[in-house]
Amino acid sequence: MKKTTCVVLAVLMILGLTLCDFTQLRAKAEEGFQPSLDTSIDCKIDVIGGYSNFEALEAEFDRFNEYYPNVKLAFTKIDDYNNMVGTILNGNAAPDIYVNYSWMYGREPYKASIDHAEDLANPALALDLDCIRGNIILNTDDGTLPMVPVFSNTYGMLVNNDLFEKEGLSVPTTYPELVAVCDAFREKGYESPMMGFSREETTSLFTVTIYPFFCGTVANDAEAIKKLNALDPSAGEYMRPSLEKIVQFLDDGCVNLEACAEIENNYDAVILRFFEGDVPMMTCSGDTVSGTKKREERSEAFIANPFTYTFAPVPMADEGAYFLDMPNLQFSVNKDSQNLDMANEFMRFLVTSRELNEMALNKGLVSPTKGLSFNSMYAAFGDVPESRVLSPEVFGLTDDAVKQLRQAVYGVGIGAMTIDEAVARYGSFE
Amino acid sequence: MKKPLIVIVNTVIMAAILVFVVLYSRYESRDAYQRQIENFENTTVTMEHVTENYLEGEQRICDVWARYINNKAMTMEEAAEYIRSSHVLENTSAHLISLETLTGLSTRPKQGTADDYDISYQRVGLLEDVSWINEIGAAINITRSYTNPMNGEQSLAFCNRVSLNDPESDTITDAVLMRVVPVSELEEKWVFPQAEFSHAELSMIDANGDYILKGYSFKNSSFFEFYRSYNPTEQASATALFDRITSSTGSISMLNSHGQECILAFAPVTATAGWTLLSFIPAKDLSVKRENWLLTGVVSAGLLILFLFDLFYMLYFNRRLQVAVREAESASKAKTDFLSTMSHDIRTPMNAIIGLTTIAEKNLGDVGSTRDSLRKINLASNHLLTLINDILDISKVESGKLKMSPLTFSIVETVENLVNLSQPMVKEKNIEFFFHINRMEKEYLYADQLRLNQIYINILSNAIKYTEPGGRVSVDMREEESAAPGCVRLTYVVADTGIGMSPEFMKTMYQPFSRQTDSRVNSIQGTGLGLAITKQMVELMGGTIECQSEQGKGTTFTVVLDIPVADKQREDMRLDPIDALIVDDDDVLLETATDTLESLGAAVEQARSGLEALGMIVHRHEAGKDYSVVIIDWKMPDIDGVETVRRIRAEVDAKIPILLISAYDWSDIEELAKEAGADGFVSKPLFRSTLYDKINAVIGAESKSIEPEEDYSDLAGLNILIAEDNDVNWEIISTMLGMFGMTSERAENGRVCVDKMRAAAEGAYTLIFMDVQMPEMNGLDATRAIRKLEGAWRSSIPIVAMTADAFSENVTECLNAGMNGHIAKPIDIKLVIKEIRRIKEGRS
Repeated sequence: MKKTTCVVLAVLMILGLTLCDFTQLRAKAEEGFQPSLDTSIDCKIDVIGGYSNFEALEAEFDRFNEYYPNVKLAFTKIDDYNNMVGTILNGNAAPDIYVNYSWMYGREPYKASIDHAEDLANPALALDLDCIRGNIILNTDDGTLPMVPVFSNTYGMLVNNDLFEKEGLSVPTTYPELVAVCDAFREKGYESPMMGFSREETTSLFTVTIYPFFCGTVANDAEAIKKLNALDPSAGEYMRPSLEKIVQFLDDGCVNLEACAEIENNYDAVILRFFEGDVPMMTCSGDTVSGTKKREERSEAFIANPFTYTFAPVPMADEGAYFLDMPNLQFSVNKDSQNLDMANEFMRFLVTSRELNEMALNKGLVSPTKGLSFNSMYAAFGDVPESRVLSPEVFGLTDDAVKQLRQAVYGVGIGAMTIDEAVARYGSFE
Repeated sequence: MKKPLIVIVNTVIMAAILVFVVLYSRYESRDAYQRQIENFENTTVTMEHVTENYLEGEQRICDVWARYINNKAMTMEEAAEYIRSSHVLENTSAHLISLETLTGLSTRPKQGTADDYDISYQRVGLLEDVSWINEIGAAINITRSYTNPMNGEQSLAFCNRVSLNDPESDTITDAVLMRVVPVSELEEKWVFPQAEFSHAELSMIDANGDYILKGYSFKNSSFFEFYRSYNPTEQASATALFDRITSSTGSISMLNSHGQECILAFAPVTATAGWTLLSFIPAKDLSVKRENWLLTGVVSAGLLILFLFDLFYMLYFNRRLQVAVREAESASKAKTDFLSTMSHDIRTPMNAIIGLTTIAEKNLGDVGSTRDSLRKINLASNHLLTLINDILDISKVESGKLKMSPLTFSIVETVENLVNLSQPMVKEKNIEFFFHINRMEKEYLYADQLRLNQIYINILSNAIKYTEPGGRVSVDMREEESAAPGCVRLTYVVADTGIGMSPEFMKTMYQPFSRQTDSRVNSIQGTGLGLAITKQMVELMGGTIECQSEQGKGTTFTVVLDIPVADKQREDMRLDPIDALIVDDDDVLLETATDTLESLGAAVEQARSGLEALGMIVHRHEAGKDYSVVIIDWKMPDIDGVETVRRIRAEVDAKIPILLISAYDWSDIEELAKEAGADGFVSKPLFRSTLYDKINAVIGAESKSIEPEEDYSDLAGLNILIAEDNDVNWEIISTMLGMFGMTSERAENGRVCVDKMRAAAEGAYTLIFMDVQMPEMNGLDATRAIRKLEGAWRSSIPIVAMTADAFSENVTECLNAGMNGHIAKPIDIKLVIKEIRRIKEGRS
C-alpha cells in the first residue's frame, strides 16, 4: 500500500512538473518572438559593419537560431566601412543587412548606402518601432525609414562610485555641484577630479562636456540652427556661451589639462586611465563606455582594486545636465537581398525591447529603447527630464556644424585661440 | 537460500552484466572517439600541409612577379601592365602600392568602372607597417583578411616589397606588390576532404589569436576572446593554452557559442610567421556510436526474461514445494490419523476377539455361551480381516500399484455372492431388500471379479449399514449396450432409505478415512476406506460412480462400468414349450421375470398374490392345463409363498413343480417349504441362467427334493503336502483339511518341501499348499526347484500358494514362479475346498 502510494505520488509529481514546465514554455512562446516563416529554411544572412568584433550581435544570431536553426548568420568587419559600404552594396558580395548611419542622408558619397536600404517603416514588415525612442528614429524627407537604430550614443562621464562613496560625496547633477565636488576632491588630494582625452578634437573632453550644453542653447532656435547649418560666419556667436562655459569650466579647476594630455587616445587609454582608480570622473562617449567591460581584465590596477562605476551626463548647466541622445549604430536591410524575407524576419526578431536591450547590455552601449533603467550603467541618463533630452538630428543640427563647434571649443580649450577668434572662425574651420 | 536473497543476487548479477556491457560499449565508444579525434587532428595537419602548399604556391607566383619587376626596374604602370599580361585568373588581382602614399594601381579596374585602376590603402590599416614583409622568397608574406578597396570583397594578399621607378623624379620608390585573392575563392577550396568532417570549419589565426581567416562558428575578432567568452578559464591557464595552440599540434575540447561541446584541432602553419590553422567540429560528429544499444537492449531483455523466467519458475517451484510440504504435512497428519484410526479400528475387533476368547475359555462347559462367543469372535475376525484388506487396498491405490487382474467370471455368481453376503445383515436389521436385474443376457464377463465384487459389496454394504432397521434397500442392475466394442454396460444402482449424507461430507466422501460425523454413524463399524477404494477401483476399470444423497432421506449410488464380454458364454438356453406362472406382489419382479422366462421360450402368466395364483392354478387344473411350473415369491403380503404352496398342494393334487423365490437365505424356511410341498428354491435376482437351470431341474426331476447337502466325500483320502514354517498355521490348515477327510504332511520350509517331493513316490501328494515366506528357502524358490525335478508327476504337481502376501503382484509372482493358484491368509476353508476341487478337476 505504502509502495503503491509512493509510486502514484511520484508519477503525479513528474506529471505536475512536466505540465508546469510545459505551461511555462508555452507562456514563454506566447510572450516571445513568433516565427512567421518556415523554421526549417536553410539560408545564410550576411551582416556587415565597421566593428572589428560584434559579439553582442553574434549572441543575437545564436538566439535567432533557436527559432531558425538552419539559418547561418555572420557578421563581417569591413575595412574603411563608411567608404566601402557603397562599393560592397553594388558588388557581388552585397550583404543582407548592413550597418548604416543617418548622417549619410543626403550625402552623395554615401548615396548607395541609403538607396539600397529597404523602407523599414513598411507596416508589412511588422517591426516593433514603438519600442525605440522616437527622437532617434530618423526618417528621410520622403518619409521612408532606411535604417533603425540598434544602439544610441551620448556624451557623459564615467563616475567612480566607490571614490564618491569613500569621500562622502554625491555625483553632481548641476554645474555648481560639479564645481563643488571637484573642489572637494582636490582638497582631498585628488589632483585631477575630472579627466578626459584632450590630444585631438574628436571626442575631446571639451566636446564631450560642451556639445550637450551647446545643443541646449540652440535647440529651440530655428534661426540659429539654420545659420549654423549654413556655416554662416555670423553663427559663430551662437557658440560664444558654450566657449565661455568651457573657459569657466577650466578656470573652475575641474580638470588638469596637463594630466589629461598624457592620455594617448580617446578609447583604450581613457578607459585604462580611469581604471587606475584615482580619477573620480572621466569624460568620454558612450562608445568608449562600451569598451570598459572587456578592458577590466587588462588593467592590473583595476584587477588589484576593482570598483563600481557608472556613466552619467556632465552637468555643465546650472539647471542640470543635458542628455544628448544620438543614434549610434543603425541597421539597414539590403532591399536586393537574396534572402530578403529572412533578413526582415531577423530584423523583426531584433527590433524588440528585449533583444535591443540585451544587445546593448552585451555591447555596453546605450540602448535605443524607451527604457534605460534596465542597465545600471546608463540609468542616470534615464533620470534626465525629457525637456533636457536633445537629439541634434531632431532639431536639425548638421554634422558639419558640429564639426565647427568641435574645433572651436578644442582650440579655446587648449588655449590655441581666444573665444573671439574661435567665434570669428566659424564656418572656416576645416 | 531465501527468496529475497536470490532475487537480490540475481539482480546484482544482471546489473553487473549490464554495467559491464554498457561500460565496455562506452569504453569502445570512447576509444573510437579518441581515434576519431586523432584522425581529426591528422586531417587538420594534412589541411595545414595543403594550406601551406597553397600559400607557398601563391606566394611563389608573387615572388616571381616581384623578382621580375625588380630586375626590370619598372614603373608602377609597367609593373601593373606586366602583371596584367601574365595574370589570367579571373577572380584574383594584383595591387601595386607605394609605401610613401599608400596609393597605387590595381591590375583590375574599380568595381563599376572600366578604366579606373587607382587604389588607396590609406584607410585599410594594412600597410602602415610592412616590417612583416620578408625578402622575396624568404617566407610567405600574407595579409589578414581585409576588404579589397577595389571591389569590397574580403580578400587575402600575398605580398612582396618591390622597387619601382618613378619616371617623374627618376628615383626608385618602395612599393608593395600584392597578389590579392578573394577569401571566398579560398573558402571554396578550403574544405575538409572527408565526408565525416563535413561540419568541420577552418580558421587561421595569427600569434595574437586574431583571425586571418574566420570560419562561421568562430566568433569574436580574436580566437582567444572567443574561447574566453564561452569557456570561462583562469587567465594563467588560458595563456598557457593559447601558447600551446599557437606552438604545437593537437586538439582540445571547448564549447562553442551555442554551448555545444566541440573539438578544436590546431596545427601551426610553419611557413608563416606564427600563424595557426584551427579546425573546429562539433564533438558529436566525432562520436562513434559504439554504444550498441541494440546489444545492450537485447542483453537486458534476455537477462530480464531469464530473471523473470527463473523468478517465476522459482515461485512455481516454491509453490509446488509448498504444496508438496503441505501434502507431506497432510500425509504425515494422515499417517498419524491413520495410525490413530487403525489403532482404534484394530483394537476394537481385537478387543472383542481377546475378550470373547477369555469369556469362552471360562465358559467351556457352557456350550451355548461358548458358541455365542465363537460366533462373535468370528464376526470380529471378519471385520478385522476386512479392515486389513481395505488398508492394503488403499495402500495400493495410493501408491498407484492397484492393478486389475481380469479373468472370465460369471456375473450370476457375482450377484448371487453379493446377495448371499448381504443377507445376514439384511435379515439382522430387518431391512426391506430388493434386488432387480434387467436383461442380464451375458453371464460370463472378463474383468477383475475380485475388484468388481469389492465395488458392489462396498456400496451395498454401506447402504445396508447406514439404513435403519425397517428401512429399504434396493439394488437395480441392468445390462445395456456399451459404446466400447466387445463390452456390455453394467449399471448398478443401490438406493437406500438410510441416514443420507450432508453436502459437506459428500465433498470429501471419497477421501480415505472419511466418515460422516454423526452419532448414528459412530455406532456403525467402518474404516472410512470403502468409498475411497471403490471410487479408485471404478476409475481404474474406466467406469463412473455417482451419488445422490439427502440427509435423513437416503442415498443412491450409481456405478456404470463397461465390462468386456467373455468369449465363453452359455449355449443357447431354450426351454421346451411350457406354461409358467409367476407369482409376486412386486410388479418390477413380475415384469423382469416374465421377460426372462419368455426369452427362454415359456408362456408366462402372472399373479400378484398367493390367492390369485391359487385360483389360476385351480382353474387351469380343472381345465386340464396345469402349469408346467409355478414360481412363487416367498414374501407376499396376504399369504406368503410357503402358505401358497401349502394351499396349492392341498387343493390340487397334480404334482405341479413349484419353485419358491427368495431374496434371503432360505435355510430358515427350508424345512417348512419342504413340508408345504415346494420343489426347490430360486434366489433373487432371477437370472436367465438360474431360471433355466432351476426350471429344467424341477421339470426333469419333477418332485426331486431340494438340493442335497454339501458332499465332501470326493475329498476323502487326498494327501496334501503343506510347506509352512509356522506351527499354528500348520496346525490350522492340517486340522481343517482333516475335517474334510484329507490327510496332510508338513514341510517346515521350502528346502524340506523340495526334498520331500524329490523323495516322494509318484502320486504320494495330490497337491502342495506352499507358504511363500519361509526360512532357508522361500516358497517361490521351492516352487521353481520342484518344477525342475525329474519326473512329470513331480515337476507338474499342483502347487497353490497359501500366504499372507495377498497383493495381486504377489499372486502374479506366485503364478510366474510356477504355482497353480493362490489362497490368501487368513484362510477361508470354503475357498480352500473350492481350490482343491478346482485343482482336482483340472488334474482329472
